[in-house]
Amino acid sequence: MRRIVRAFFTYSCLQSVPRHPSRGSHQRHRRAALLLAWLVLFGPPLNDSIAGEPAAPPKRQTASITLRFVSWKPDHPRVWDEALAEFTKTHPDISVVRELAPHSSTAYHDLLTQKLKNRDATVDVFFMDVIWVPEFAEAGWARRLDERFTPALREEFLPATIEVGRYADHFYGVPSRIDAGLLYYRSDLLTKYGFPPPTTWDELARQAETIVEGEQPRNPTLRGYTAQFKQYEGLVCNMLEFIDSHGGSLLTADGTHSALAKPEALAAVQFVRDRVIGRLASRAALTYQEPESLSVFLQGHAVFHRNWPYAWELANNQTRSTVAGQVAVMPLPGFTPGRTTAALGGWLYGISAYSQHPDEAWALIEFLSSQAMQKKFTQEAGIAPSRQSLFSDPDLLAAAPQLRNHFAVLRSATARPRSPLYPAISHALQRYFSRALAIDDLDLAHEATVADAQINRLLSLTEPVP
Amino acid sequence: MNHASLILRHREKLAAWTMVAPALLVTMLFALYPVLDSLWLSLHNIYIGLPQLGSPFIGPDNYLTLVRDPVAQQALAVTLAFVVLSTLLELSCGLIIALVIHERFRGRGLVRAAILIPWAIPTVVASQLWRYIFNDQYGYANLLLFGEHVTDYVPWLAYPGVAFGIVVLADVWKTSSFAALLILAGLQVIPDDLYDAARVDGATAWQRFWHITLPLLKPALLLALLFRTMDAFRVFDLVFVMTQGGPGDATQVLQFYGYQTLFTEGRIGYGSAVSVAVFLMILALSLTYLRAIGSSLLERRQP
Repeated sequence: MRRIVRAFFTYSCLQSVPRHPSRGSHQRHRRAALLLAWLVLFGPPLNDSIAGEPAAPPKRQTASITLRFVSWKPDHPRVWDEALAEFTKTHPDISVVRELAPHSSTAYHDLLTQKLKNRDATVDVFFMDVIWVPEFAEAGWARRLDERFTPALREEFLPATIEVGRYADHFYGVPSRIDAGLLYYRSDLLTKYGFPPPTTWDELARQAETIVEGEQPRNPTLRGYTAQFKQYEGLVCNMLEFIDSHGGSLLTADGTHSALAKPEALAAVQFVRDRVIGRLASRAALTYQEPESLSVFLQGHAVFHRNWPYAWELANNQTRSTVAGQVAVMPLPGFTPGRTTAALGGWLYGISAYSQHPDEAWALIEFLSSQAMQKKFTQEAGIAPSRQSLFSDPDLLAAAPQLRNHFAVLRSATARPRSPLYPAISHALQRYFSRALAIDDLDLAHEATVADAQINRLLSLTEPVP
Repeated sequence: MNHASLILRHREKLAAWTMVAPALLVTMLFALYPVLDSLWLSLHNIYIGLPQLGSPFIGPDNYLTLVRDPVAQQALAVTLAFVVLSTLLELSCGLIIALVIHERFRGRGLVRAAILIPWAIPTVVASQLWRYIFNDQYGYANLLLFGEHVTDYVPWLAYPGVAFGIVVLADVWKTSSFAALLILAGLQVIPDDLYDAARVDGATAWQRFWHITLPLLKPALLLALLFRTMDAFRVFDLVFVMTQGGPGDATQVLQFYGYQTLFTEGRIGYGSAVSVAVFLMILALSLTYLRAIGSSLLERRQP
């Protein structure tokens, strides 16, 4: 391509040389220009350093390798910068170039997979959302890590995070962090009204009603609950929690069929539609992703809030939150006491199948997922670690006591459907849920059947993922 | 014709071809090739996540699925509603703007420049702007309507119909000035004598507008209509930034559906079929318009 541009450039440059008076010489001139252009186009390659691209630098004694790490835009960029700087210090022969992609999981997915579809060799290390592993494995984008990620190493991580990185008995991802849905609440308000932390949605709704009514004169914008109900991936997580804790599920147990039209699942969706949207939570929740819903809570406009572990640090951050110190966290309620579901989220490190430096890439992953680094990320970026031992690390627990509460939830979190076609399945789910919640007088049972049919068609294209 | 002039002709032809060759090449490479490639891909069944399926040729199957796909039908309905509404509003607003800035008044240059500002703002920025304006908590729309009564604040984008209306509004705000520019050009070629003559005959301002301005503006209006319809048909960025197709698919348009199937879901064959379908619809529309514009130009030439 560069050649064509150059040839065209050569031709047009020479064409624009001032014309000579005699016609013959002009003709000769043009022919010469054409000839040169053809030469540039099809002749031997020009020395690139002359034509614009810098030539490769002469090799030094120690071959330095550049790793490319495609990452989303982190919440705490300083922590990541420091981590990478330390890696370069301990590995002087490897330099890491980070390419920042959008923060949103779907936007990051689209950018990253676009590169991988093109077999882009300039991607070495990337993040995988826990829902992408089957797709990345089937498409051949992620390298198998079976030999490097040994059974002994795998034992050190939470089993759920290892499971999501596995596909058909091969391992593709090293857990970076784990996420699960948690219930944040205003401990000051619950204490004031003498309520214990709620264990069922009914209880939560009753408490919220009383508190909102009681606080009306002081805080007229206070609502009971805020969470993520926009038409996007997070909606699937929120609804999975309602459906699963109601005894339903997104797919049948064998993973071959969609189960949205089952009575338990329907009743859970009905509950969110009738009791949550526009009642317990503002209807605005239909436009909320994590940041918007969190900001409502941080400004003191909600009693209860569903979010991932990262919200803890922000909720108690004096400069970002008006309710710092008045926030507690617990497992999400269920429909019967004791039955609670948290959607499993989180990120894994993967190595591109097209990377030319898998050894160095592995060194980077080993470093970033090490005990010390996970501790740093937990303390300074407020995310939940994926290494089991950190949950009983006295230092870390002293600095981040909330981990003690998180542990049980994180360990038993429920994964979303596992399929190489998950993005398509997710779109069908998002569509169904969003329509169910946003459109009045919708025939839920009919919508659920339509969504079931769409998802079943997708599932029929693949074997169920073990 | 003698031999020498034949050679000259031949040479001229050669020169002409040499000159248009780069443009032709670029057009082929960047316009024709992708379209043909999409067409070719749309006849295959390709799932990027399932390479073991291969990419079997399935003929028109993707198109048959597309016609029966309820999501595509919904997206088509939303797209058509968007095209009709936004184009009509843009032409009306554009006509009004053009008539105003066609008049002579103090500061006209400034007004003309100011009117072009929305069009000069990148769509992504404009979409973000409108999303903020209709934010449920700190949006300007709520502040304007309800002031300090924060409890009355409305979550505009959470209502399917309203969200759709806001996307239309954002598009009208952004591109009316473009329509105005095209119509203004049309206004400027209408000779003043016609108005003078009409005035002498005692025509009212409304009659002058209805019998002179509007008929003579027809080519410009058609041109604006052509551009706006084509643009409205491939609306994407507004939806991508403001609503992601929600709530409840109320703003799901064909181009966004095509993007989702192609880029997020990795259904290359089906996604290509969606985009080829959009392409064919735009092509059909523009051919119809071009024919209409052509005939209206011919009408003008008739004595």
